[in-house]
Formats: sequence, C-alpha cells, structure tokens
Amino acid sequence: MSVGYTWVQWNRHKRVYDAVAAVSAAAFIAVYMLATKLAWSGANAYSDEVALIRSTGACAIVLLHVILCIGPLARLDRRFLPLLYNRRHLGVMTFLIALVHAVVVLGYYHGFGVSNPLVSLLTSNTNYGSLRAFPFQVLGLGALLILFLMAATSHDFWNKNLSPALWKRLHMLVYLAYALLAGHVALGALQNNRGAIGPVLVVAGAGLVVTLHLAAGWREVRRDRGHETVTDDGAEWIDVGAPEEIPENRARTVCTARGERIAVFRHNGQVSAVTNLCAHQGGPLGEGKIIDGCITCPWHGWQYRPHDGCSPPPFQEKVATYQVRVLAGRVQVNAAALPPGTLTRPATLPERAHA
Amino acid sequence: MPDRETGADELYVGYLPVPKGQRRFLRLGLPLVLWVACGATFLWARSQHSPGTGAWDQGQPMRLMGVLVAAPYPMLFAQGPDGHAECVLLVEVGKHGGRHDAAVLDGRRVAASGWPLHRDGRRILELEPQDGALSAASDAGEGPVAPPARVRVGTVTLRGEIMDSKCFLGAMKPGEGKTHKECATLCIRGGIPPMLVTRDAAGNATYTLLESPGGGRLDEEAHAYIADPVEVRGELFQQGDMRILELDAKAIRRL
Repeated sequence: MSVGYTWVQWNRHKRVYDAVAAVSAAAFIAVYMLATKLAWSGANAYSDEVALIRSTGACAIVLLHVILCIGPLARLDRRFLPLLYNRRHLGVMTFLIALVHAVVVLGYYHGFGVSNPLVSLLTSNTNYGSLRAFPFQVLGLGALLILFLMAATSHDFWNKNLSPALWKRLHMLVYLAYALLAGHVALGALQNNRGAIGPVLVVAGAGLVVTLHLAAGWREVRRDRGHETVTDDGAEWIDVGAPEEIPENRARTVCTARGERIAVFRHNGQVSAVTNLCAHQGGPLGEGKIIDGCITCPWHGWQYRPHDGCSPPPFQEKVATYQVRVLAGRVQVNAAALPPGTLTRPATLPERAHA
Repeated sequence: MPDRETGADELYVGYLPVPKGQRRFLRLGLPLVLWVACGATFLWARSQHSPGTGAWDQGQPMRLMGVLVAAPYPMLFAQGPDGHAECVLLVEVGKHGGRHDAAVLDGRRVAASGWPLHRDGRRILELEPQDGALSAASDAGEGPVAPPARVRVGTVTLRGEIMDSKCFLGAMKPGEGKTHKECATLCIRGGIPPMLVTRDAAGNATYTLLESPGGGRLDEEAHAYIADPVEVRGELFQQGDMRILELDAKAIRRL
C-alpha cells in the first residue's frame, strides 16, 4: 500500500524480522558445519566446501518449508501472522542461500575441468532414464531459477505492473520449486548418504506442509458450507446469519455458487460486504479487522473503506463490493459482485443487534 | 474453529504496535523453536557418513624417482616404502591428467615432483604445474630401472563403484557417491585415471585401475556408469602392485 516505490519500506517490525531470520539462518549453517567438523575430524575430516554445500542446501530447504508453512499456519492461528508479514524477505533470503549453495557446487564439482562449469552441469550426467543415476542437479537448477524469478519480482512494483493475478500465479510456482527440490534431495543427497534420518526428515517435512495446507483448506471448506441462498427478483442472496453472529469490527465469510468468497463486516451498527480477496496479494480480508474505520488485511495491512471498497486517500486501490440487506433478523448479501470501488449503502442493524 | 487469539480482539498489522498477546507468543515461541531447530540440525549433521581417510598433502612438494609408463595413464614405478615397486599415478593440477610431456619420457627413469594424495596405502602424485616437474633423472638412484611385467590374472566379474582416483584418494572428501558423480565424470574426461573401488564384507577397499580392452583409456561409453554401484566384467592384470582391469564397457551393469 503505497503511492510510490522505494526499495524497502522499512519499519521496526521488518528490521526485527530480517535480523531474526538472518541470525537464525547463519546459526543453522554454523551449527551444521560445526557438527560436521566435530563428528568427522583428523583423517576423516570433511572438505570445508562439502560442509558448506550441505549446510547451505539444508538451510535453504528448511527455509522453504518455513515459508510454505507460514501461510496455512496464519490461517489456522492468527498468532502466526507476524511471520507472514515479511515473508517476501524470507523468500529472497532463501534464494540467496540457495544461490551460495549452487555457486559453490558449480565451482567445486564442475570447475577446474575440461568443460565450462555450466556445460559440465548440463552434460556430465544424462542418465534421465534411470532413477539411480538421475542427474538430480538439474532439478536443483530448475528450483533455483524459480526462486530467482520469485525473488526478482517480489517487490510491489512487479505486483502492480504484472497485475496481482499474474503475480500470484507466478509466485504459486513456489510449489513447483518445492517439488523439484524434493526430487533434488531424494535423487541426490538421500542416495548419497543412506540412512534413516534423511528420508524421515524429507517425509516429515512434506507431511507437515501437506497437512497444514489440507487443514487450512478444510477449515475454509467447512466455513463455506451451510449458507442458504434465496432468489429474489432474479438476484441471488446468500444468508450470512444473524447479525449477532458477526463479531463487531470483524467479518463472516460466505461463498457464492461460483466459488467467490465474500467478507461481510459488522461495524458501528452497520453491515457491509467486500470481496474476500485483497487487491495486493489476495490476502483473506474476511480474516482481517476494521481498524480506524477501514477493513484491514491481515497479511500486510492494506486498507479499504467498507462502504465503497476504496483505500483511503492518497492510496488508490479498490476491491469489489456487494449489496447487503437485513431481512427477518438475518443478514443477506447479494452474490453479484459490483465493480471495484462501487459505493454501496451499508445495511443498518436493528438496535438490539448492536447494543 | 474458535478464535485462538490470546487477546480478545487482536490483529497484527505490520506498521502498528504488536498486540500484547502476539508479542508474548513470539517471545516465548520463537526462541524455543530456534533452540529445537539448532539441536535437530546438530543431530542431522552428525548423521553424515565418514568421508573416508583420503589425504592430500599440500605443503612442500615431494620428489619421487622411478620408471615412467606414459600410456594410457601416466604412472611412475618407484621404490615403495617396503622396498617393492610402487605404482604412483601421475595427475595434473585441477581435473586434468595425461601430462603432455610424458610420452617422450616413456620407459625412462624420471624424477617427478608434486603433492601426494593417498588412501589405504595407494598414492598418486599431483605434479607441480611448471615445466620440469617431470624430467629425465640424471642419476641412477634407487628403485626399479624398468617397469614391472604386466601379468594376466584372468577374466573376472567385480562389483563396486567407478571413481576418479584423484578425488577419491583425497582431493575431495567425500570424493565418491551420487553427489560426486558429475565431478568424477569431469575428472575422468579430463584424463584423471579411473578406478574401480570394490569392498569386502568388512568394508576394506581394493582399488583397480580401469582401461579399455587392449590397454587404452576407459571407453566413453563407460562414463554413464561413473559413481553408480555397478557390476563389471573384464580381463584383470597385475603390474607391480597395481591391479588393472581391461573393462568391456558394454558389459557394465548398474546395480
């Protein structure tokens, strides 16, 4: 939410977030390298380059798991929202650590030879038909390119200029990167270092990511159910519930037959409805709150006025609004979205409902 | 699902002060998670396997004298510590082997200077990069004056892993396995002598130099199997303390 672009709109939270993330990543790499040195010393010592390759690779994978878990965790429990606020910086950090891993691999394993290192990377092993001998490094290269694409377009400048929808699709490639990295690890490190710990960690990590996503999705599906639809003069009205069921300054979310989610907010004795999708990154506005009279997205704090879906001046973002009415003690929302920024009349609640 | 906020109506917004409940959650939760993560990382790193006992002495170059066999891979038959002829493979700096000036010295007594790599009693020598690192010996010295005879042992089938000798003997630790496959391929393409490493039930390694039938460099067809567990078949020879297998690349089987 900005009227101009700067590299980073720093604030105290972002500084603390980045400092904690950087120190944690550095501690991870240091602990991994230290443990390697303590476990294998003297004649059995590991090469420093190999320890660095393994520690940075492991660190990047762990960070990617954290990134993928933050989204569903924040949906399931709002106390995780602070981790989501600056997730893009975590993504850029993951790319940079993965880049260090790749550069050391390229120099150490593919340098000093008769071929250009990149040519060696792509041609030294072409056993694509064998799982045992599969060139796993190519999978890592594919994941690194995706992480680069995401890091390079992580700024809001690209979100605005690519359009939030395209930007979102582009950044959903993180799941492809994750799949490629799972293959990279399974066909590389796990084949190299046989033992139970590696496979257990990979399966546990994937299990955690999948379980959290399923849990968050299941919660959404359950919430979408049970809202009746009535047709009135050709218009579809979705039952939201009794006014008392919507907490003050909070929303209840309903889903249309077309799968569009609507966030219905209660505030100052009135009810207004906007799309559940924030114009920024598609954050769930219905899980946000009205602060200073504006609907505030839980992801990055973008704000919209409840009655017209417009960000307060000087900001210019707009989201779709919906007509709302209160009929027979029930709040109903019209399933037809109005163009972003359309002024609507909030439904006024009876006295007892907002007492 | 019930609202699980600790505060009644808290919402974290990045540009506003952190609500009390969330601050408490982060202050307690984050350090706990980080300590657990550090412990898990420590155990994870300790679970790695031994990289082997290979060593690369990169201090003062050492000088070896012996008889040179230039092809297919330069090797020096020098007097070993036990008085017998020891075969020392000669490689260059980086992932290069097959010294260009070795051919003219073939069969002659030479002096070679460089840095030794060794593992399980097998040595190779990385020659110093400058001219003169491999030169005709001016004095007779000790040790063999002719290369040992190459004696045919018979046709054998062996199971093991094809390695590049330089990395495996100490240039990289570990210099074996799947993650080292591309590096080993690059090394062998560059002329580093390939070896088959076989292990007995107790894990003791035996090293066998690999050549193509007739005594040439390993066929390119065999490169696809480098660093994989393989079964190979060929004619085994013994020359001094070096086992040499003339490998039929078409008969390699990935296990």
